[in-house]
Amino acid sequence: MFAIGFKEFKNLFKSFKSLVVISIILGVTLGSAKLISIFQSQLHQLGMNDSPYATGLLIIILLASPLFIFALSHNAINEEYRSRTIRFIATKTSRENIIFGKFFGTLFFWIVCLTIVVILLTFFSGHFYFSELIQSIIYVSYFIGLTILLSTVISRPGITGFLGIVLSIAVTIIGLWSIGSKNLLLKIFSYITPYFFYSQDNENYTYLVLIFPILFLGLSLMILRRRDL
Amino acid sequence: MYAIETHNLTKKYGEKVVVNHVNLKVKKGSIFGFLGKNGAGKSTFINMITGLCIPSSGTFTLRVSSNNVKSKIGVLPDYSAFYDDLTALEHMNYFSKILNLKLSKNEMIRLLEYVGLGDAAKVKVKKYSFGMKKKLGIAQALLNNPEILFLDEPTSGVDADSILTIHTLIRNISKDGTTIFLTSHNLNEVEKLCNEIAIMDKGEIRVQGNIDSLKRSFQENITVTIKCGKISTEKYKELNDQLNLIGNSIQWEKDQVSLIVKDESVIPIVNKLFVKMNVDVFRIQVYEPTLEEIFLRTGEQ
Repeated sequence: MFAIGFKEFKNLFKSFKSLVVISIILGVTLGSAKLISIFQSQLHQLGMNDSPYATGLLIIILLASPLFIFALSHNAINEEYRSRTIRFIATKTSRENIIFGKFFGTLFFWIVCLTIVVILLTFFSGHFYFSELIQSIIYVSYFIGLTILLSTVISRPGITGFLGIVLSIAVTIIGLWSIGSKNLLLKIFSYITPYFFYSQDNENYTYLVLIFPILFLGLSLMILRRRDL
Repeated sequence: MYAIETHNLTKKYGEKVVVNHVNLKVKKGSIFGFLGKNGAGKSTFINMITGLCIPSSGTFTLRVSSNNVKSKIGVLPDYSAFYDDLTALEHMNYFSKILNLKLSKNEMIRLLEYVGLGDAAKVKVKKYSFGMKKKLGIAQALLNNPEILFLDEPTSGVDADSILTIHTLIRNISKDGTTIFLTSHNLNEVEKLCNEIAIMDKGEIRVQGNIDSLKRSFQENITVTIKCGKISTEKYKELNDQLNLIGNSIQWEKDQVSLIVKDESVIPIVNKLFVKMNVDVFRIQVYEPTLEEIFLRTGEQ
């Protein structure tokens, strides 16, 4: 599992992908922080976070990270399947190790990127946003789990590439929309996206989101176990 | 003691039965040849017992010294691929880590040298020829010093030089007591390398056993050819009459005669006859059916 995870992490981190992710998150956070600070008093009245940097960070993570995750990792499993490299791995280790290795490798990449962003933010804000970092990691774990599931269910990387982008935009829009909606279907939908949990006053709700990646990984494993490689 | 045992192993894709209730036993330490035409079900069978494919029904046992079976088997799957952007050494490193092995760089290079890839250890796999990839496939299968080695078509599409290297490798690996399960289209290869074989046709095992005993069981009559010295006309006539009493279909060609006898016990009698008649015998050759003939006759059946 660790070997597979480390390879996945290395693949994501060694290329320009990590630089792009870090630069965009940092850049947008700083930009939105500047914008937020202009309307800080109004936002404060609306009950939003006091720190423009923390708010900026959460906004970019909530809105853009699903797209990044799907774009970078939509083929985590199915590319190994398509290229048939999975045949060498599956004769050496269990299918659990393949799924968990891919998940933790991708998660570790995001933990490193987000930590770097939060560290860089301290130079501007003078504050290390630990709680926001944890919440961001929990949030990305939801989409990494979903990506792994998608990549396991659909064996063609071309389809997951397209579907991943559509799904990341759709889940974000419908998820955010469903929070305030009174439509029953949307209400139900809100409970299976992380946005409902992130919109609650009590921060502890965000930890409930961790149930979803576990669920997604369980489903992925069930599917992979039944699949001929 | 059997290293591999399957009991009614079956694989269906919808209504199509690809492997049909296969019962197979492979002796520990043997080189087992698994033969069959394209689409006979060989690869599906090997994929099931190596964990790549889920059996529809039936069971199989791989007898190794550890509960973690995958840590004690080596597999060269057919239709597999490597990571183009990695070198052979990086592949070996990655696979050894997956297997939780602590091999040094030198040990991995030695293994690559063993399969003839020492010079190309640090070359990216995308620059490898097909034969080199097969050798790397064998090297990665040997990483954990396996007790059972599965080789699915190890020489298919490989040039003659590489085939010889792979054959030597297989023989050397077998000397260490490793059980080798080999699938191949190449009947000569199987005949040269294997002690035991099974022939699969339309998902079923048609024939299974030791190559020599299979040849004997497929041998209805024995053709004996005797190369002898020069014979006078009188002797020729007498010898011909005597041979007619022992066997039939006698055919003379220069200083060579061939005849068909019922069983091997007649061969010493033939020899004695030549000695008795003062005719020099240079060679007695007993014709055996080739594996190719067995294979073809299995298909006809």
